[in-house]
Amino acid sequence: MKMVLAEKNSENARNGRRSRGPSPNGHVQADSTSEDESTVPVDKIRVGRDYQAVCPELQPESQRKPELLADRALLVWSPTEAIPESKLEDYIVLAKDKYGYNGEQALGMLFWHKHDLERAMLDLANFTPFPDEWSVEDKVLFEQAFQFHGKSFHRIRQMLPDKSIASLVKYYYSWKKTRSRTSLMDKQARKLNAPKEDGAPSEAGSEAGSNEESDHDDKGEGGACSNCGVICTVTQNTSKGSYCNSCYQHWRRTGLSRPTSGPTSKRGCGGGSGSGSNGGVSAAGRRKRKPPKGMYINHDDLAAMASGNAGVTMLRAMDRELDSLQRQIQQNKQNISSLKRKHSDSIEDLRPGSENSSRYNARWTNEELLLAVQGVRKYGKDFKSIAEVIGNKTEQHVRTFFVNYRKRYNLDTILKEWEKENGPLPEDNNTADGKTEQDQDGDNDVICISPTPSKKDIKNGGKVAQVAK
Amino acid sequence: MATQPHSRKRVCYYYDSDIGNYYYGQGHPMKPHRIRMTHNLLLNYGLYRKMEIYRPHKATAEEMTKFHSDDYIRFLRSIRPDNMSEYNKQMQRFNVGEDCPVFDGLYEFCQLSAGGSVAAAVKLNKQASEICINWGGGLHHAKKSEASGFCYVNDIVLGILELLKYHQRVLYIDIDVHHGDGVEEAFYTTDRVMTVSFHKYGEYFPGTGDLRDIGAGKGKYYAVNIPLRDGMDDEAYESIFVPIISKVMETFQPSAVVLQCGADSLTGDRLGCFNLTVKGHGKCVEFVKKYNLPFMMVGGGGYTIRNVSRAWTYETSVALGVEIANELPYNDYFEYFGPDFKLHISPSNMANQNTPEYLEKIKTRLFENLRMLPHAPGVQVQTIPEDAINEESDNDEKDNKDERLPQKDLDKRIVPENEFSDSEDEGEGGRRDNRSYKGRKRSRLDKTVDSKETDEKIKEETKTEKTSMEQENR
Repeated sequence: MKMVLAEKNSENARNGRRSRGPSPNGHVQADSTSEDESTVPVDKIRVGRDYQAVCPELQPESQRKPELLADRALLVWSPTEAIPESKLEDYIVLAKDKYGYNGEQALGMLFWHKHDLERAMLDLANFTPFPDEWSVEDKVLFEQAFQFHGKSFHRIRQMLPDKSIASLVKYYYSWKKTRSRTSLMDKQARKLNAPKEDGAPSEAGSEAGSNEESDHDDKGEGGACSNCGVICTVTQNTSKGSYCNSCYQHWRRTGLSRPTSGPTSKRGCGGGSGSGSNGGVSAAGRRKRKPPKGMYINHDDLAAMASGNAGVTMLRAMDRELDSLQRQIQQNKQNISSLKRKHSDSIEDLRPGSENSSRYNARWTNEELLLAVQGVRKYGKDFKSIAEVIGNKTEQHVRTFFVNYRKRYNLDTILKEWEKENGPLPEDNNTADGKTEQDQDGDNDVICISPTPSKKDIKNGGKVAQVAK
Repeated sequence: MATQPHSRKRVCYYYDSDIGNYYYGQGHPMKPHRIRMTHNLLLNYGLYRKMEIYRPHKATAEEMTKFHSDDYIRFLRSIRPDNMSEYNKQMQRFNVGEDCPVFDGLYEFCQLSAGGSVAAAVKLNKQASEICINWGGGLHHAKKSEASGFCYVNDIVLGILELLKYHQRVLYIDIDVHHGDGVEEAFYTTDRVMTVSFHKYGEYFPGTGDLRDIGAGKGKYYAVNIPLRDGMDDEAYESIFVPIISKVMETFQPSAVVLQCGADSLTGDRLGCFNLTVKGHGKCVEFVKKYNLPFMMVGGGGYTIRNVSRAWTYETSVALGVEIANELPYNDYFEYFGPDFKLHISPSNMANQNTPEYLEKIKTRLFENLRMLPHAPGVQVQTIPEDAINEESDNDEKDNKDERLPQKDLDKRIVPENEFSDSEDEGEGGRRDNRSYKGRKRSRLDKTVDSKETDEKIKEETKTEKTSMEQENR
C-alpha cells in the first residue's frame, strides 16, 4: 500500500514537472532550483578513493595468455561463408512459414547443426518452437487489468498470477501497437465515448489517445456505402443510394446490387436493435460489424471458428501468412528502392551533363576545316548536318566558318556544284547569308570572346559592329 | 543490397533475450525494450547472421566490485520492490528511488548489462574480434557507490578496466546528449584512460562537463569535455567531432577505443535537445572505426525508442560495413515505425544555438589543452597498438562517403515532428524536458551561476576575440 502511494506521488511530481518545463531549452525557474537544492546536490567530479576506479596493472606481453581467457559469454550464432545468402534466406523463410520459427530460432537450429543446412532443415520438424503461452482468456484478462491499472505490472500480475512480470512486459509491448486492431474492449469504449465527446478522462482513454485519433482520421470523412456498409472517401450516388466504388461498378455492369456476405439487411437491423440503447450511434455500430471492403466471410469458416480449437489453429496459420506477406511487401519495397537507386545512379552517367557544352570547341583544326568543306559539298548549306558530322561544332560555328572561309576555300564554287545536283538553295537562306556576310568583322570578335555564342550574341555583336562602322 | 567497400571486420554482438523484459516503471522514460527492438531489426535486416552472437554471462558481484563498492553492490543485490521500505536509508545514500527506481529484476538487469560489456572487453583482449557491440550497456552515469541518471552499474568502467589489463591506453568517447560523468569520474586521475564527452551543457543533467574540467593529478588533461548548446545538427556535430577526435588520436595514441552511442542526441528525443539524424550519429561510429583499433560500442541513453533502435541498427551496419536499405524490413515491432517505416529520420527545424564561432572557440581551447599532453604518455611497455590492422587505406573510406551521397538526397523527406505515433507512454506530455527526469540532481544555485558565467565569457570572447586567462581568473 505504501508503495502504491509512493508511486502515485511520484507520478504527480512528474506531471507537475512536465507542465512546468514544456520547452526543452527553457530556463530553470528560480523556485524549482531552490526546491531541489536540498536533495543530493552533487554536480562536480569528485576526487578521492571513494570515487575513482583502481586501474589494473598492464600485463606484460610475455605473460599474457589470451587463449586462456574465458569468453564469459555463450556463442549462439557465428557467421558462415559456406552457405550462400540466398540459400540461407530460403531456409529461414521455410522455418518461419512452415514451422513457425522466428529468425533467431531458425539460425540457432542451423548453428546447432554446425551450419549443415540439410540436417538443420530435416530437424526443423522435430521441434515446435514454444507456442504463445497466452490463451485467449489470459489476453482478455490482461486487457481488463490494463484498463484498471495501466502499466503497473505488479498489479496486473495480481490478476494473472501465473505470469511473470517479464512475460507481462513482453506481452504488453507486442500487444500495444496492434491494440487498435485487436482490442474489443477499446472498440466498445470508443463506441460508448463517441456521443459523450471525450467524457470521463480515464487513464486508459487518454493513453489510447493517439490510436483513437488516427482511427478517426481514417474513418471520419466520406460516407458509407449503402450496399456493403464500407466506409469510404468517395461515394457514387445511384438510384439505390450512395455506393462505394466496387458496388457502383458492379451495379453499373450488372444492374444488380453487389452481393455481400450474409443477409445484409437483416443482420444490419439486428445489430441496430441490439445496440438500440446507443441510440444515434447504432448506424455507426452497424457499419463496424461489416468486414472491410474486398473481404468476404465464408460461413464454413465461421462455423470452424466457432468450434474452438480448429479456429485457433486456423487463426494462427492466417497470422503466419499475414506475417509472411508483410515481410514480402517490405522485401519488395527494399528491392524497388534499391533498383530505383541503381537506376538513378546509372542514368546520371549516361545523361549529357552540363559539361557537354564545353565539348564544343570554337577553334578549327585543319582536319575539321577539311571535313567542313567536304560537308558543304555534301550537304550544301545545311549547317546543322555539317556540324553533326564534325561533332565538336555547333551549327553556329559552321555558319561562321562558312562566312569566314567562303573566299579562301572557294566555297561558292562548291556550293554551285552542290546546287547542280540538288537544285537551287531556298531564297531566305540566301538573304540571311548576305546579312551575315556584311557583319563579318563583328561576328569574328564575338566568337573570339565566347566559345559558344548563341544566335542572340551574334545578332547583338553584328549590330554593334554595324553601329561601329 | 550492395555492400560497401568498407573494411570487413569481425564483429561480435552481445545480447540477452531477457533484457527487453525489464521495466523501470510506469511513465519512466528508460525502456530496456528498445534493445529488443534493435535486436529484432538487426535480425530482420539480415545483419544478425553476419556477426558472432553471444549471450553474455551475468556479471558476478565480484566482477562488479572491481569498480563499485561492496556495500553498494550488496545493496543492489538485496533490494526488491517488496522490501524497499526496509532500505530507506540506504536508498537515499545510494540515490536509488526516483530517477533510478527499484524495479523487478533490477540486479539481473545490471548483471546482464555489465556482463555484456565485460565479455566484449575480454573478446577484444583476446584479439578474437575487432569490434564488439553491447547495446545493453553504456550506462555511463553510474558512480562507484551511487546510482544516477537511470544507471546503477557502470558497465563501461568495468569494460575499460578489463581492457586496461592488455592495453596501456584506452580512449573513451561519449556521444550521449548527457555528460558521461560516471566514466569521467572513475578515470579522472589516471593518464591511462582519456575520456572525451560531447554533451549538452548548461542547466542540464547531470550538471558536470564544463570545458574547464580537464582531469586531476596524473589525469590532468586526460578528461576532455565538449559542452554544447541546444540544436546541434549533423553538420555542426561533425565539424567538432572530427577535428577533436583526430587530435586526440594523434596525441593520446590509444590502443583501444570505447564508444558510448547514447541515442538521446538524436532529433526528437524525449529527453534530449539535439537535432542529429541517424546518419549524423552514425558518422561518429564510422569515423572512429577508421582508426582500426580494437573497438567497443555500447548503448546508453535514448528515450524515443523507435529512433534509438533505428540508430543502433544503422550503427551496427556501419560496424559491419554493410549497406542496408532505407525501407525497414517487416519485424515484430513494425507498427512502432509508422507512418513511413523508413530507417532514416529527418532533422527538425529547431535552431542550432551552437554558432560556428562558438564551436571554433571550444576547439581552440581544447587543442591548447591537448597540446599539454606528453607525446606518448605513460609509456611503460612498448606502445605499438597490437591489434591495429591497416590493410585498407583511409582513402577507400573517403571515396565511399561520396558514393553514398545520392542516397542521402533520396532520403530527404519532411516528417512533421510528431508524426511517428509511438507508444502511448512516449506521447504523454510530449517531449520531456531534461529537468523532468534526469533533472532531480540538478545544478546547485552557485553552479548554475558558474556555468552561466562561462557561457557568457565564451560569448564575450568570441565577440572581442580576446583570449585572456586573466578574465577567467577574475
